[in-house]
Amino acid sequence: MTAVAAPPRSTNTALGWVKTRLFPNATSGIVTVLLFPLIVYLAYRVFLFVVVNGRWEVVRRNLTLFMQGTFPRDQQWRILVQILFLAFAAGVGTATASAAAADRAREAGIPVDRQRPIEILRRFWPVVLLVLILLYFANTVNPWLFVLGALAVSLLGTTARFLPTRLRHLGWLLVALSIIAGFQVVSGTTGRSWLAAAVVVSIGIWLSVRLERLAPLPRLAFKTALVALAAAVVFGIYTFVTVPGVGWDRWSGLHLTLWVSALAIILSFPLGLLLALARRSTLPALRVLATGYIELIRGVPLITLLFMGQFILGFMLPAGATLSSISRAIAAMTLFTAAYVAEIVRGGLQALPYGQTEAAQAVGLSPGKTMRLIILPQALRAVIPAMVGQFISIFKDSSLLFILAINEFLGVRSLVHAQTDFRGIAHAETLVFVALVYWAFAYSMSRESQRLERRLRVGL
Amino acid sequence: MRVLRVVGQIVAIVVVFLLLRWLFGNLVDNSRRVGLSLDFGFLNRPTQFQIPNHAEFDPRSPVYRMVLVGIKNTLLASVFGIALAGVLGLIIGISRLSQNWLTSRLASAYVEFFRNIPPLVIIVFFAFAVFLHGPLPNLREGIEVGFPGTSHNLFIFSLEQWGVPSVADAGNLAYFAIAMLVGLVVAALVWRWRTRIHDQTGAPHHRVVWTFGVLVALLAVAYVLLGEPFRITWPTLSENRRRLIDGFAINAGFISVAGALGLYTASHVAEIVRGSILAVSRGQSEAANALALTSFQTYRFVILPQALRIALPPLINQSLNLVKNTSLAAAVAYAEITNLTQASIGNGRPAVPSIVILMAVYLFFSLIISLILNVVNRRLQLVAR
Repeated sequence: MTAVAAPPRSTNTALGWVKTRLFPNATSGIVTVLLFPLIVYLAYRVFLFVVVNGRWEVVRRNLTLFMQGTFPRDQQWRILVQILFLAFAAGVGTATASAAAADRAREAGIPVDRQRPIEILRRFWPVVLLVLILLYFANTVNPWLFVLGALAVSLLGTTARFLPTRLRHLGWLLVALSIIAGFQVVSGTTGRSWLAAAVVVSIGIWLSVRLERLAPLPRLAFKTALVALAAAVVFGIYTFVTVPGVGWDRWSGLHLTLWVSALAIILSFPLGLLLALARRSTLPALRVLATGYIELIRGVPLITLLFMGQFILGFMLPAGATLSSISRAIAAMTLFTAAYVAEIVRGGLQALPYGQTEAAQAVGLSPGKTMRLIILPQALRAVIPAMVGQFISIFKDSSLLFILAINEFLGVRSLVHAQTDFRGIAHAETLVFVALVYWAFAYSMSRESQRLERRLRVGL
Repeated sequence: MRVLRVVGQIVAIVVVFLLLRWLFGNLVDNSRRVGLSLDFGFLNRPTQFQIPNHAEFDPRSPVYRMVLVGIKNTLLASVFGIALAGVLGLIIGISRLSQNWLTSRLASAYVEFFRNIPPLVIIVFFAFAVFLHGPLPNLREGIEVGFPGTSHNLFIFSLEQWGVPSVADAGNLAYFAIAMLVGLVVAALVWRWRTRIHDQTGAPHHRVVWTFGVLVALLAVAYVLLGEPFRITWPTLSENRRRLIDGFAINAGFISVAGALGLYTASHVAEIVRGSILAVSRGQSEAANALALTSFQTYRFVILPQALRIALPPLINQSLNLVKNTSLAAAVAYAEITNLTQASIGNGRPAVPSIVILMAVYLFFSLIISLILNVVNRRLQLVAR
């Protein structure tokens, strides 16, 4: 007769959890015993700083300064309208993306996972937390009402889900247009029409490619003429209706930080794409030029390029032409980011099996069409997570404008601490606040990029 | 088609050439108009400003001396930053994989926090919230931490400088340094000798004991023979408590830059360490377990050597990033090359050649580190038998 061993006891209790996760063996137990008081002490100090000792008055009184810097106060409505446009874009964007994912799932015959709205809250909890903290610092009820309004607008945007599948791309167009509209509401059309025109032209080209699927257009010449006409009309409207606004030369605070990083990544994309294609080209001259540029830029820190922008770029323009300090910084950041974008895109191109090119050649596509229809769509899809990573990196790097005495989000601190009430005190409070805001954005984005990587099943 | 390719390349080169010529033509014209020089002659003219915290630097010495001081300080901050990031990152990376819930959570929190804030914010936090407007007293009321049992100071903390013990030349320090080099070479030879004995006979090598024993013995002999070549100096405040005499003075700017970049890069290093440990196949640790190795032995002899092969290339990249990030010291008072270049342009030195030199310095560092990376990659390649 052998003794029957008793069944193992379940560790699925509070005590079991403590035993397996905190005291699995002697060494680990000692570590727990040593770490626990340290963590309690740290938590106590953080609690003291946040609740008791922190002079948060400095943030409360300067919240507007942190958010929009020295933006003219009588023009503040522009920023509020812009946020509404961006909220709308966010709503349309998430709805379109989830609808497109559902379409793909239905096509592939796998169950569609419906995202409940509460999921968004869980995914973006740092940003939600940040908004709540900002609202806590708000002095009046207006910001609360405004946040509710923005939420309502973005909910309105999510009705884009009901667009039929054939018109799904109009959702993306709507996103792009409302982002541009948000930008234009603030900056007006004075002096920046070239930028809007360039964006509109590229959207026009993209749309004409998409329209082809809906109703095949007969000739390239006809399509080009259509795009040119649309661009000319829009450009005409822009130059005719010169709504005066507040150009980015007068932006500052978090508003500037967000736009500078967005502009740097958007503007650097075409350049980076060209550089990547040139580096992969079979033409040695193009390859050498692109490789030289990329390696040169990647070998130096961003600040040296920003110095170049500040001290040299102005001299490289024809006599009489001037660029504001922020424009020069954006130019330097674009040139810098382009090299990194090029390397990311090159990674995507290299990760694509050569069989794709061969298959395209086998069905008789020209090299241009192979690239445009077969290679690029797949390669660009694969690099989306890495591009988000690059955006995070440029978002963090935009703090370098502080060194050039541009009052972006980190730089506004110098305005805050120039006030007599806060001269030489409460530096820790403002810096913790600044770090928290950077963290909330960067952390949410990095989680999103990891999620995208899993969903798209890519990753280089 | 052939012709088209050649023409296309020529067109590309011509376009780039014309663009550059246009830009540089404008640059030369505008500079001439404003009266700015574009040559490097200024390198031999006096610097004309005092580098902060470098009392030994003479403002009358030429600009190239200032550049050299900047390069030295960049290297100093990089070396300490990399050391801090390496040690901290290794500990945190391993902790993140710990079974212990507290340890792994604490390590995760560290990584997720520091990875997602700009390094410049950390540097500025150190410089402004810890030092300049922080809780520390200024040097006059510096906190002196005594060495137990003596009247010497072990540390002096203040918001401008920290004092730590150091060694001072008592006559023959140079010879002792030579002896130290010789000792290191001998120690390396001893290490190889013990390894060979172990490989050939299987006898226990005791490499660490042997190597350090020989090194310590040699240094002791040298110390006695040279008749006390150095003495330890303890940090002391001068009579009027204005400056630190004796000991070694570490400036607040240095601690800000090296410390902040060390903390920031440690989060990246930790991720690399974690990733490469996870990349070592699970069978390896199971096999080690089957051989009844302790968990320390498993890490030391099985996992870490294999993880190192995966981790080394990205780690070298991170150190390059850290070297480039030392340029953020331009925001605080630390006299590295970017900071000094900015100051010297502000003092009227020509901007174009100054920035060209600055970029060349960083390119040189990048090149060196890329070379190291290539060598390491070649040596790490698995040799198929």
